[in-house]
Amino acid sequence: MSLLDWVVLFGTLGFIVAYGVWRTRGSKDIEDYLKGDNTMKWWTIGLSIMATQASAITFLSTPGQAYEDGMRFIQFYFGLPIAMVIISITVVPIFYRLNVYTAYEFLENRFDLKTRSLAALLFLVQRGLAAGITIYAPAIILSTMLGWSLNITILVIGLLVIIYTVSGGTKAVSITQKQQMAVMMGGMIIAGLVVVSYLPDYVEFGDAVAVAGKMGKMNVVDFSIDWNDRYNFWSGITGGLFLALSYFGTDQSQVARYLGGKSIAESRLGLLFNGLLKIPMQFLILFIGVMVFVFYQFNQPPVFFNEAAKSKVYATPYADNLRELEVKYEDIFEQKQEAVQGLVRALKADDDALVADAEREVEALAVAAKAVREEVKGVIKTATPEAETKDTDYVFISFIIKYLPSGLVGLLLAVIFSAAMSSSSSELYALASTSVVDIYKRSMQQRASEEHYLRASKLFTVGWGIVAILFAMFASLMDNLIEAVNIVGSIFYGTILGIFLVAFYFKSIRGNAVFWAAVIAELVVLYCHFYTDLAFLWFNVIGCLCVVVISFLLQGLVGRKKL
Amino acid sequence: MKDTDHPVDTEEPIEKPPIFNSWAGMYWLVLGNLAFLIILFYAITEIYE
Repeated sequence: MSLLDWVVLFGTLGFIVAYGVWRTRGSKDIEDYLKGDNTMKWWTIGLSIMATQASAITFLSTPGQAYEDGMRFIQFYFGLPIAMVIISITVVPIFYRLNVYTAYEFLENRFDLKTRSLAALLFLVQRGLAAGITIYAPAIILSTMLGWSLNITILVIGLLVIIYTVSGGTKAVSITQKQQMAVMMGGMIIAGLVVVSYLPDYVEFGDAVAVAGKMGKMNVVDFSIDWNDRYNFWSGITGGLFLALSYFGTDQSQVARYLGGKSIAESRLGLLFNGLLKIPMQFLILFIGVMVFVFYQFNQPPVFFNEAAKSKVYATPYADNLRELEVKYEDIFEQKQEAVQGLVRALKADDDALVADAEREVEALAVAAKAVREEVKGVIKTATPEAETKDTDYVFISFIIKYLPSGLVGLLLAVIFSAAMSSSSSELYALASTSVVDIYKRSMQQRASEEHYLRASKLFTVGWGIVAILFAMFASLMDNLIEAVNIVGSIFYGTILGIFLVAFYFKSIRGNAVFWAAVIAELVVLYCHFYTDLAFLWFNVIGCLCVVVISFLLQGLVGRKKL
Repeated sequence: MKDTDHPVDTEEPIEKPPIFNSWAGMYWLVLGNLAFLIILFYAITEIYE
């Protein structure tokens, strides 16, 4: 990295943090720390909601996902706008009327203390794990760039996030997220324009999209019904709806964003703003990944995108095997490059027969290239058994560092760090507020001073930060980061959503029935995760429906008096 | 006071949204946008796949 990159990176991040600290100076009590002062307008809420969801993983892993698997991941978000409408109509007015700090307080009003505590604990477990993955993602960048140990890097980033969150509270989180979103979207749009400008002169934008389509990357929507397919229209519109309902309606890291609004109207508009813009934003990020894929059809890609892992193999007896495979990969690339050029010519000539021939040739070479990559992964695993062999999360960062001009590298790294800071700070804050309000203050220490609870909130923030750091050290075992976050979420969200749905819509069901239904539902979801091949998005549906159906049956079977 | 005993604001009037006369209009805007995007994505898939 050049000096200019470091100046841009630390200048951008320094400005955002300093601005947040300056704007929130003087917030010294528990009300300020946990709720802010309820003055946020809808655009601040909307941007804050989007920034909380858009972690560093979004910007690192999503383009890599598109590079490997095409655009179909976008279907994951199809349920989100519907969820925004449902939450705006039903959940927001209820939370406002009850004037709650956390979503789980509502459950004690509606059911009982144990149901509130169960929902809070399920949230704490899943969000604590997800926060670890959120910290792990940016750690990959620094460890790759600086050659640091990954664990040391995780520790450094985790501590920085903890300090930032403890000093700021919820208002600092929301205020800085506006600047962070501006940096994120500005940086990604510039990156997208740069990728397209790097394509050869004879490849116009339309040709690039056509080449991506012929190579299977423009698979945006798939209406086929396959229960084990992770991303298709049906899993996105149903599983995605349940996941979004649960995430935005019951996850404290999001509920806190819109509870800080000036009024119900501002909170609703913030949520609807997210419903309008989330899918176009994800489309843009995925499309940048597809353009990086097209770029690498005309420029030699590395045989393995994690250079640090590859260089370790050079120091082992397997170095010659790796070099041989690299030469083989380069030969295949040269043939594929010519075949792709032929495909472009055929597309420009609008000759279907030529296009079909070129497509077959490109496909055969792509399969051969993929086979070599698999062999390379095998060599890396044999030479360094501790190494991870999934490299999709390194695709985008590798492109940024190798090809973007000086200054832009710093800006794109600022994008990734901003995203990490915005989502991690929201998560740590939400974990701390739930721990204090729903567990500590409610069940452990009911009578203490405001200063005591403020200190407890900050201590819980530090504690959860440490848990997140420890989990981050195991995150490298996951296949793909963005999937890992969503899988962890899906295991718990369905059950939590089920509890809230029963609370909102089934007035006859009481605390004991919903509590035991939630316990059984969570066991069913865990069974599905560990012992079946069912696509993870369906866990949300299963967990939610199990809670609703079982609590209904329990209430009916045992009777209203006993339950 | 328990943490669940916050003062209850029973009937806060909900302001009208901008542009539309009712919230239903805003909701249909979001759902219509989703429908438009799905049709657009389907067209992209059909054209380029």
